[in-house]
Amino acid sequence: MANKKISKKDIGKLLNQWGQQFAVFTPSREDGVAKMARWEGKDTGFLGWYWNTVVPPKANFLPPMEEMFRFQKDKEGYRIELPPDGGRQLIFGIRPCDARAMKIIDANFKELYQDPYYLNKRKSALLVGLGCTNPGESCFCTSMGVSPAESSDVDLMLTDIGDELLIEPVSAAGKELITKSRGLKAANKTDEAKAKEVKKASYNKVSRKLNTEGIADRLLASFDDQDFWEKVAAKCISCGICTLLCPTCYCFDINDELTRQQGTRFRSWDSCGFPVYTKMPMENPRAEKWKRVRQKVCHKYEFYPMSLDVIACTGCGRCIRLCPVNWDITQVLNSVPAKTKVGK
Amino acid sequence: MEQRLRSEARALLEQGKVDWIIGFEPGSLKFTTTPLITKDKNDAERLVINPFIVNNLANFLIGIKGRVGIVVKGCDSRSVVSLIQDNKVARENLVILGIPCTGVIDLSKVEKLAGKDRGELDDITREGERVTIKTDGKKKEFPITQVLFDHCLACEFPTPKEYDILLGEPSPPLANPVAQERIEKLRQLAPEQRWGFWEKELSRCIRCYACRNVCPACFCQRCFVEETEPQWVFPAPRWQDNLIFQITRNIHVAGRCTDCGECERACPVNIPLRSLTREMYDIVGELFQFKAGMDKDATPLLTHYEEKEAEEFFR
Repeated sequence: MANKKISKKDIGKLLNQWGQQFAVFTPSREDGVAKMARWEGKDTGFLGWYWNTVVPPKANFLPPMEEMFRFQKDKEGYRIELPPDGGRQLIFGIRPCDARAMKIIDANFKELYQDPYYLNKRKSALLVGLGCTNPGESCFCTSMGVSPAESSDVDLMLTDIGDELLIEPVSAAGKELITKSRGLKAANKTDEAKAKEVKKASYNKVSRKLNTEGIADRLLASFDDQDFWEKVAAKCISCGICTLLCPTCYCFDINDELTRQQGTRFRSWDSCGFPVYTKMPMENPRAEKWKRVRQKVCHKYEFYPMSLDVIACTGCGRCIRLCPVNWDITQVLNSVPAKTKVGK
Repeated sequence: MEQRLRSEARALLEQGKVDWIIGFEPGSLKFTTTPLITKDKNDAERLVINPFIVNNLANFLIGIKGRVGIVVKGCDSRSVVSLIQDNKVARENLVILGIPCTGVIDLSKVEKLAGKDRGELDDITREGERVTIKTDGKKKEFPITQVLFDHCLACEFPTPKEYDILLGEPSPPLANPVAQERIEKLRQLAPEQRWGFWEKELSRCIRCYACRNVCPACFCQRCFVEETEPQWVFPAPRWQDNLIFQITRNIHVAGRCTDCGECERACPVNIPLRSLTREMYDIVGELFQFKAGMDKDATPLLTHYEEKEAEEFFR
């Protein structure tokens, strides 16, 4: 299928059109923080945003807090009531790093085991990607195999070519959506050339680099290097920002809220950085901070690639930008000793 | 000031007067610094003092073993004093390197003034009472009061209250009334409106606990939010529970909070937490004529009991 294009000033109309079929979400600062919010038919300012949303789009599929079911006890026993279906979501303006992150979460919630809460939302959703033209200072996506303005992890991909956006169909669902959409124009050769230029320029603007070569092996070799990990962990304050707001982190906690004869089961984001993580069965095996920091790093860059063949990081840079003490994962990983002193 | 700090820090480590130096070094992003916690005298060369030294380093004193040379601004020094009052650190284990503070720059205010993200700015330079923001090759100048953190504008004691070495001439308090405007506005609201305000703000909370973990006054080994028997507050980020968390945290740090503003700065979802903490700070001042961290020999406010002060039923 040939590529299409649309004028930026017509994006609102297109979103309204899609809004009749989908629950449309776009980047927004309306709620006081940059996140994916319901399209209200007005603000398309996000088209010119420099940086990404603070809250990653994973929140649309694995919300910070989610009702799993309600239960009630009566004469016949327990009755369970499931929450209503949220409908089909269309996430507009997702960045390539975050779209890749969804694929990485899929590896766990779709392939390793099937998580119905996640999959119900994920399966029916459409992702419309928007390429970065001006990647942020904390971004290092190109080191993680992600291109800031290209994506195969979305249904449609949009590229800013000036006053217009080039629209490339990526998936079958994306093609279908294009066919049904009104007001799109055919893209010409000049548009294609412009888009190619934008993508290349954007790629070259990503200046933060992470050396991922042999990273899993280096981490494995450094696992018992307590000196290294203690040094690295010294300034970490054990808050949950870098994990909760990471687009690939999916840990959750489950809690019941009970009254006399009824209750609700919720799940909510959890973080391996917290001292009380996994306390529910017994103890956190990682009582010391350096062990928790090591776990966070190794899970993403060692355990994940070893078991699922992909590093659980897309270089979105949130953990660097949002950290209250500027704990920088790229500095940490670039300083992992090539060979460890321990045991040698 | 920076050169002096570096040579003092190096000397302290060299002469074995301290085991650790805790200070600031350049961060990995523009206009940032990051805590430097080191035993290595050569690291002293990396120490910086600039308008971006945001962290309250007193937070790192808890859990560190040995004698520490710590770099503090006015508010941070009061947190150190408060920790001494609570017997969390011993004065004799500290060498306090005091910075007479002239305020720290709030990048979100700079972004609003410049209409650009911090990453897009070429430079931010401060000269006395003026700040120059350079972007796209153009320079714009503003009064410094437009870019300092609210808690800096409100600061009564920018020069450390307690120090061994003062790294410069004492600086005058700012105590700019502008800083209190948003808190005064909240005070004026009808209770229902104020309730609505906090419902909206606290609905964003994701329970990352950064506000608690950056706070030197939050030194409990185990926080009440993590207790499960009984469960004082629901662990999921529902706004009502977020409110209970914040209110309880505020009461717990009453008399210890020095209005360093770290809770609000650390919040990734922009909850105006200082509107709560500063209100509590002022209430503590009004009710008890007490300001946190002013005198290391003073008894801490809420862990201290005197029979003559007690309510009738308590005696």
